[in-house]
Formats: sequence, C-alpha cells, structure tokens
Amino acid sequence: MCLAMPVRLERWEGPSEAWGRAGSVGVSFRTDLLDDVTVGDRVLVHAGFAIEKLREEDGAEREALWREIHRLGGQGE
Amino acid sequence: MTETLEGRLGELGRVLGRRVTFMEVCGTHTVELFRTGVRSMLPREIRLISGPGCPVCVTDQRDIDAALFLARLPGVIFTTYGDMLRVPGSRGSLGDARGEGADVRVITSAAQALEGARQTPCREVVFCAVGFETTAPATAAVLLEARRQGIKNFSVLSLHKRVPPALELLASAPDLAVDGFLLPGHVGVILGEEPFRFLPEKFGVPCALAGFEAEEMAAGIAELGRQVILRAPAVRSVYPRAVRPEGNPRARSLMEEVFSPARAPWRGLGEMASSGLALREDFSPFDARRRFDLPPFPFVSTPCACGAVLSGRIDPPECPLFGTSCTPVSPVGPCMVSGEGSCAAHHRFGRGWAE
Amino acid sequence: MSLLTLGHGSGGRLSGDLARRIACAFAPEGPPQEMEDCALLPEGWGVTLDGFTVTPRTFPGGNLGKLAVCGAVNDLAVRGVRPRYLCLGVIAEEGFPEDELMEHMASAAEVCAELHLRLVAGDTKVVPRGTADGLFLTTCAWGTPQRPDALGMTRLRPGDVLLLTGAPGRHGATIAAARYGLDAPGLESDCAPLGALLEPLYDLPGLRCMRDCTRGGVGTALGEWAEGGGVGLEIREVDLPRSPEVEDVAQLLGLDPLYLACEGTAVVAVAPEDAPEALARLRRSLRGGASAPIGVVTDRHPRWVGLRTRAGGTRVVDLPVGELLPRIC
Repeated sequence: MCLAMPVRLERWEGPSEAWGRAGSVGVSFRTDLLDDVTVGDRVLVHAGFAIEKLREEDGAEREALWREIHRLGGQGE
Repeated sequence: MTETLEGRLGELGRVLGRRVTFMEVCGTHTVELFRTGVRSMLPREIRLISGPGCPVCVTDQRDIDAALFLARLPGVIFTTYGDMLRVPGSRGSLGDARGEGADVRVITSAAQALEGARQTPCREVVFCAVGFETTAPATAAVLLEARRQGIKNFSVLSLHKRVPPALELLASAPDLAVDGFLLPGHVGVILGEEPFRFLPEKFGVPCALAGFEAEEMAAGIAELGRQVILRAPAVRSVYPRAVRPEGNPRARSLMEEVFSPARAPWRGLGEMASSGLALREDFSPFDARRRFDLPPFPFVSTPCACGAVLSGRIDPPECPLFGTSCTPVSPVGPCMVSGEGSCAAHHRFGRGWAE
Repeated sequence: MSLLTLGHGSGGRLSGDLARRIACAFAPEGPPQEMEDCALLPEGWGVTLDGFTVTPRTFPGGNLGKLAVCGAVNDLAVRGVRPRYLCLGVIAEEGFPEDELMEHMASAAEVCAELHLRLVAGDTKVVPRGTADGLFLTTCAWGTPQRPDALGMTRLRPGDVLLLTGAPGRHGATIAAARYGLDAPGLESDCAPLGALLEPLYDLPGLRCMRDCTRGGVGTALGEWAEGGGVGLEIREVDLPRSPEVEDVAQLLGLDPLYLACEGTAVVAVAPEDAPEALARLRRSLRGGASAPIGVVTDRHPRWVGLRTRAGGTRVVDLPVGELLPRIC
C-alpha cells in the first residue's frame, strides 16, 4: 500500500514545502512529517509527503543474510 | 554460494526443507512480487499468499456508497487518489459518477485537495482519505493546516485503517496456517517495529519488514525463512535505508492528534474494533460524515469471495468468479478492481504462463 | 444502460472490445479477428482514420496538430503504405482562440510538407462552449502500398525477432508529467512520422508486420499481436530501450512505461534471417538510433506475452484495462 520514491531535496518553497528531484523529475512535496531535514537530504516521498529521510545502504546486511542462509544449509538442516 | 536471486531463493527452499506459507500483507508487495518476477523464482517449498494490505480492496462497499453520496451532492468537488476511482459501491463507482457528471477529481497528494478548497471558496471540497498508516499522517498534516488557516469549505471522509488489528485477526484465526508475515515496509517507516511485536511474542509468527525492490523483497522472504529455520520468531526489518526501529514519531504524533482509533468495517473481514481512524471531536467541522449528515448505507451482499482472498484462505484463482464473471474488465469485487488487488494482480500477471 | 467510460478510450482491452462491437454493427458475420492499424483495400489503396484530442494541447515534442497527422500516417507506414493524401476534420469549441487553431494547423501542415502529403478535403465545425474539450481533430490518410503482400500479425511465426524502435512510453509520460504538475526536463513526446524510419525495411522479404504503438503503449501492441496472431511472445526486460525520464515519471505516478502511450515508436517483427539487416537499417535512420531487439515469437504459451524480468524471473504482460490512473498504493 505504499508507492514511494526517493527524492533529493534541492530547495525550500515554504516552511514545510520543498522541491526536489526524483531521478530527473522535479517534484514538490511536503515536509510536515519530518523534523530535521535539509537541502541535499534524500527523502522517501509518498502521496506528496516526505515520510522519512533515507540512509545510505550498501547491501552489506542483505549479503550477510544470504550468507547466513547458506551457512545454515551447510549444517545439515 | 550462488549469486543469482533465483539460485539464492532455491537454496533457501532446500535449507527450509519443508513447505512454508508466508503471507505478504501489502498490496504493493503483491504487485511488485509479480511484476519483478520474484514470485516466479520462488522454490516449491515457499508459498506466498496475499493478505488484506490493499487499503482500496478492504474499503467496505458502504463506505464507497458514502463517497458516492458525497460526490453526487450538487456543487461538491470530490477529490480522491486515483486508486479509488473504479472500486464498485452498490451502484457504480466514483469513475461512473464522474461519467454521469459528478465533479470527481483525481489528486496525488492530500495537500492538493486543501489547495483546491482555498482556490474555490464558494464550493465544498471533500477529500476521500484512503490508506493505512503510511498515508494517514499526510491527511493529519493537511487537517491541522486547514484548522490553522480557518478553511471553511474543506472536509475529509476518513476511510483510513490500521494494519496491526487486521494482522491480529489473521494471526488468531484457528484455520490460518501462516508461517510468517512479510510486512509492508512503508507502514513500518511510520510505525516502527514495536506495534508488530505481538505477532511473534503472542502468536509465535515470524515477521520481516521489507522494501519493494526485487532484492529487498527477496531479502524479506529470506529473513522469514531464517526465523523459521532457527525457530526464532521476531519482528526484524530488512529495509535499513528507510525503516528505523522506532519508526517516525513525528508522523505518529500528528496522526494521534487528529485521529482516534475507531471501529471500522473491512470488506471481506468484517468489523474490527480500533481498526479504523476517525477524526477526533476537535476536528468535527472537517469530518465529512458529520458535516454532510450522511445517512446509513445498507450492506449489499455479492457473490464476491474477496473476504476469503483478503484473509489468505483462498488464492484468487480458487474463487469461482475469477476470470469468468469477475475480470478486470467487469470486476465484481474490489480485489479485481484495485490496481494492487490480489485478484487483479493474479489476473494481470499470473495467468497463462508465468505460474 | 451501459455508459462509456474513459477506459473505453484508453487503448487496451476495453477499447478493443468497443471497436469490435462497433465493427460488428457493420459486419454481422463478425469483424476480422485481428485488427490492424490500417485497411488495405482491394483497389490498391491503404487507408486509415484517426481521431485526436489531448490535454495539454501543446506539449514538449509537439502539439495536437502534429499528433493528428503523425498518428494517421504512422498507421499507414506500419503496413508498408506510403501516405499520399489527407482529409482533416476540425471540431472546435465556441471560444477557442483562432490563433491557437492556426498553430495546430501550421504544425500539421509542416508534417504534410515533410512527407509530400496533400490535404485534399476537410471539414470544420464549431460547437457550443462546453460540448467539446477545446479542439478535436480527425484525420483520414490514404496512400499506396509499397509491397505486394499484406503485412499483418497473422504472418508471425515462432522464431521471428521483435524489434522496438525506441524507449516505450515517451508520449504518455510527457502528457502525464504535464497533467500532474511534474517538472521533467529532457522528457519529450516521441511524436513523429515513422515513414522515413520504416520504409528502408519494406523490401526485406522476411518483414512480417509492424505496429504503431499508440494508446496503451508497447504492452498493448504486443498483447494484440499475441492474441490476434495466436502466437506467444517472449520479451526481455533488460533489452527494452530505456528512457530514464520516462521511468522516473512512471515511478512517481505508479504507472508502467510499457502501457504509456507512444506516438512515434513501432514494434517490428522480422524473420530471424533478416533481423540483423533490419536492425542495422533502423539504427542508420535519424530517429532509429535506439532501436533494439527485444524478444522473439515463440510456440510456447500461444496468445500470451511473457516477460523475463530484470531480476531474472518471469511474468505475463497482459492488455491493460481501463484508464491509466496514478496510484499512491
């Protein structure tokens, strides 16, 4: 139930209105739901509102999970 | 160790060594699992059933009738997310009402509805607020703004619902054998992990909060598998870039300021206490139900088996209407109408070949 | 009483069903199972008719006037017909600015000039305010077939190669971005005449059929081929030409690029022995640089289009149903 897109905040347009880019597309969105967000932050935008600040992720946790599955298999389950 | 997603999922199946059934709760997961092809790569040990996480699908026919009543009032501008346009009430949908001349407008943000009210002060603007906890905070923010600015011609028909009560209903059903819940990552962004903890703690069911890309959903399935293998049910997020364990407290506080949990009907599941979000007394001028004095709407039963589908008891193809009298062209129930309805997803992606 | 919906005009299953019901009114024995982009008449003409309305009427890459001519001539071009003559119907709403009408006419005339297409007949109506959405244009184009045999989907055979001449969904994404207030620099409609791109293929013996992907996009064109041709199609997601701008707009609105409209993009089916040459000729063309092989015709799963996904799985590509609406869920 949640289509949401990562958007990089590029400028402010009001106290809780911002404009940013999702890929190449510019989009306006509201920031009422976030306390501490600044220009340059990447936020997750759902239905016109930023719902969270995104953190960088390198996939290491996912890789660790798959390695653990593999390891569990080796223990003769 | 294999690198391909298909290989890894296959290995997961072998390590599990037995058939498991995971329920993916979220309609967006249902669609994305099909669309990205992850569903087609699942080993035979892992069966996925779809749950009631499509807020459009679980909107009760009587609530659609309420929306239609409002949309058909002379002079009303009825704003809605596009998802709702084709859902049938007892007599047609919002799209049908638009075709008959009602001023129904598709918007992509609740803020646009309020902006519309500001721009046309002489007309009543009603916003059809659908969605779970991912979407309700936005509605709350808009209502707070409407009150702050003293907007006089704006109201909200709240059809918002809460996910945890539905999960509790499913988890406590004696006939439902679910080995794990794939939880909606974006509801988790708002709620965090805590509201789901009762599932492993009270019911022993593994839970994983997952994102929506192929790799992320597969990781969610892997995490459920891991918990099953280790017999260690928990709520764990595998969506680190978006979900914080504590969720988004500010979004929750806005939601709590504007809404209170209320008894609500879910299509196919019946009424559940505290499962809907109703506007608090302070906001009653903005509550469309009270502002327009809605009459009661009678329940109309249909042969639709959406209830059984939404609670994971049957797969869409097992419904006798599926693909015959109920198709995307002529849908009987909301699961076929909604873009992320389980029946629509199965019909769109799953027939003919891929399964 | 059944009322028409916007879904009936969006391309895809509802539109196809409506078209068939209308055709039935004229041919009680039943319309042909497969509906091609233009009709090839026994007297040696190819002819097509198209109606156009779009909001906004002017968009990056074109306007309604350009669209009206390109749409008609492309329906001819994909069946090997070189357009020669055009008829134009104009229905304008009371209050419509004449200057704007002439802008659209100028754009339409520009396309005609490029193609040596002569406007030979037309009609103009002005209707009361509120009874037309600004401006409707209808074009009827006809021309001379350049091949003795009729290209069509019944010629599709397992093993045939499918080529796509550009990234899907550029027109639809451009319109959606304009409608929903998205700023999408670098995104423009693919609205363009296809004749120059496709004519170099006409003399290839292995050319089976081509299709102008319009409403309902590439997904609809492929689905109609599968159903009408009674064959299976297999497409590879990684081989589809991509437009990042289209994908960004589509993702924001919850739409699928495969079903967003095109107005200058064609699918081409060609026998395997002619496929490398066909691709080379397309790529040499001014507008064909992004052309790519995207899949094959198969004897598996007849009447279905299967897609091998980027992630390595598979799924079906069905005909879209109804209006494409933005989603939040």
